[in-house]
Amino acid sequence: MKRTPLYDIHRHLGAKIVDFAGWEMPLQYQGILQEHQVVRTAAGLFDVSHMGRIAIEGEEAGAYVNYLSTQEVESKLPGSVTYTVWCNEKGHAIDDLLVYKVSETSYFVVANASNREKDLAHVRAHAGGRAVKITPVYEHEGILALQGPDSTRILKTLFPEIETLQPMHLLKATFQQTPLLIARTGYTGEVGFELFVDQSQLVSLWKALMAVGGLHPVGLGARDTLRLEMGYALYGHELSETIYPIESVASWTVKLNHDFIGRSAIEQVAHPRHQYGVILREPGIARQGCEVYVGDKVCGVVTSGTFSPTLRQAIAIVFVEQKLKPHDMVAIQIRDKRVQAEVVKLPFIQRKEKEG
Amino acid sequence: MIKFTETHEWITVANDVGTVGITDHAQRELGDIVYVELPKIGKSVKKGEEAVVLESTKAAADVYAPVEGTIFEVNEQLTTAPDLINRSSESTGWLFKLKIANPKDLDGLLDQKEYHQMTHE
Repeated sequence: MKRTPLYDIHRHLGAKIVDFAGWEMPLQYQGILQEHQVVRTAAGLFDVSHMGRIAIEGEEAGAYVNYLSTQEVESKLPGSVTYTVWCNEKGHAIDDLLVYKVSETSYFVVANASNREKDLAHVRAHAGGRAVKITPVYEHEGILALQGPDSTRILKTLFPEIETLQPMHLLKATFQQTPLLIARTGYTGEVGFELFVDQSQLVSLWKALMAVGGLHPVGLGARDTLRLEMGYALYGHELSETIYPIESVASWTVKLNHDFIGRSAIEQVAHPRHQYGVILREPGIARQGCEVYVGDKVCGVVTSGTFSPTLRQAIAIVFVEQKLKPHDMVAIQIRDKRVQAEVVKLPFIQRKEKEG
Repeated sequence: MIKFTETHEWITVANDVGTVGITDHAQRELGDIVYVELPKIGKSVKKGEEAVVLESTKAAADVYAPVEGTIFEVNEQLTTAPDLINRSSESTGWLFKLKIANPKDLDGLLDQKEYHQMTHE
């Protein structure tokens, strides 16, 4: 099992530690509901060092990252961040990532913990004779996410330059004479930042941020309820190697007007399935794998489900064969009961900051 | 008298009536309880049979009947306030009451000291 440099701090804070893709990570400190609320109303600090940066640099970096991504990223301005999906040649999703364009010849992506080795192999395998240098930066780096309405106020005490940083953009800064990258990105729907720093500085950066005041540690449990309220995909749930990105809540990332790995397969999908948000209208909590009925017929499954701390209702994303529209009713099989759920427009809640 | 199971239920007994809940240790392990699926009144349960489902923010957990019996009362408060289990799992956060079919079932359960030892190993 792998640990981040912050492991001892998490233990000291009383975190419940769980195995997350081979990492011993904090699931929660005080409780998922409380930590969720902290991020929606104040500010929370997450250790997400199990995720990882892969740098792709060189003359052909832009063209290559573009070829890997369902999104068009090469034409973006330096300093911008783009959410995308990567596919294999069958058109199935191998990961969803953020692509950071540092300059015309310098890009990096942030991969999911469970996929970072796979993504690295994918980037290396398809590079061919391109003039690109591929570096797994994650081997010596950590990542913190500072999320919530108070995050700008807290972060600018250490890094005044972030006050004007726009959503989905990044800048370079220094912390204790060490370079770091700060991006205004996140996975919660709130104003927030992600900080990429050398492993040797991770603990002192965490401590410096906590010392500002008004910031609370938040675990991966609340990270999941926060992202689900926003209708964001989680790899292994809404996206996987059996799902085409056009079928998913991340379908908007697929830009067929440029060439990318998997495009021709995606163009040939005759009967794409669909993902929708639903709110349960009867008691129960739907979980991944629960069958979804339209009328008496099974037409799909739940990909994610939880109790929404903001709505105080059970919410889920369903993956179904037919098209549905808001207010349509489906039924979800939860153990021996079939529970009515209503299709709603995503996100489940309206927040200021948008992904992508 | 209070007894415990290895699956983290407690039962208090008065005459042939048992009151069942989950232990404080169990509620801490489960985290925030957000939904409780209570059994129907009149349901007969065997010792070790699933009687209640607790849903936390992360996952579902089964609660098993510590003894055989017939359920005659459930804690209706949990329908609107499932967090009572987190706040007071060993008192106001009780789950159900049952008429004990076979008092001998209690003999195989753990006492307070044994349960404490089991959870602090």
